[in-house]
Amino acid sequence: MPEVADIEQLPVPQARAGNPAAWDALFRRYQLPLYVYVFELVRDEQAGLDLVQETFIAAVKHLGSLREDAKFGSWLFGIAHQKCLQRWRKRKEFLFDEIPEAPDEFEAAPDDLLIRREQETDFMNLLNQLPLPQRSVLLLHFVEDFPLEEISRITETPLGTVKSRLHYAKKSLRKILEENK
Amino acid sequence: MKTPLEILLARHQPATPKLDALRRSVVAELNNQATKEQSLPASLVASFLGCSNKLWLELVFPCRRIWTGLAAVWVLLFIVNFSQRDSAHLVLAKPATAGMMMSYRDQQKLLNELFADRSPPADAEPPKTFSPKPRTETLNIFAA
Repeated sequence: MPEVADIEQLPVPQARAGNPAAWDALFRRYQLPLYVYVFELVRDEQAGLDLVQETFIAAVKHLGSLREDAKFGSWLFGIAHQKCLQRWRKRKEFLFDEIPEAPDEFEAAPDDLLIRREQETDFMNLLNQLPLPQRSVLLLHFVEDFPLEEISRITETPLGTVKSRLHYAKKSLRKILEENK
Repeated sequence: MKTPLEILLARHQPATPKLDALRRSVVAELNNQATKEQSLPASLVASFLGCSNKLWLELVFPCRRIWTGLAAVWVLLFIVNFSQRDSAHLVLAKPATAGMMMSYRDQQKLLNELFADRSPPADAEPPKTFSPKPRTETLNIFAA
């Protein structure tokens, strides 16, 4: 995934000027990560595609509300997250269970997860079993490697809650992977 | 060994053609909007109707169907009005029937009789002018 330097090179100013080629470049960059995030939350291909499209359209419409061009990625994921919430609210499917905060147990370097080929299915199964809030945080962490502050902004949850969700999600993941070694 | 990101991206890679199509449709829509905003016909129509391009784009163009409907109704009313006027002319222009001509002649004859001689008769007395005179009773009082 792109480093900070790459993000800075995104043609956001040109997109602000209404340049279709700039929008094409931005969407091309984010379409797959965005789809991965949305699909893994809604677990439906068509719904996932619809939500990505809605996100793109909303991004074009509301780009004026983006303050920092460098935060385009997290801003776009924030729109997608809101679209998912709207979908769940419409269907009354969403139950956001609160998890007790455990910031002290939070692992500062959680990027050392490496999964063997034979564990890939277990990993996907575990991801699907995770409660939605944990899954959301874990996906944002894996897919775009957003910092916790950004994840907190995208999901509109306090930083402590994000930390605890990520902690529990990773703990469950490690447990599964350890068991299947 | 793979990272979670690699696993996730590999799993969803087959969706890329659909995502490409989706992206192209959104960008194409964006292109259409951009060209619409700068389209020459819109500004020409706006200048023809005597309003600014912005006014045309924001006020008239979004409700163009309603305006077209209203225009169509007006044209329809105009046509109906014209066709009725033409038929009225036709009714007037119809050749008079024999009965109508007879009654017309009778009325003409009656009018001629009524207004044939309006001059006063020669031997008639000219109208007298009234001048008040004192009554006899009043005269007696003065005499006394």
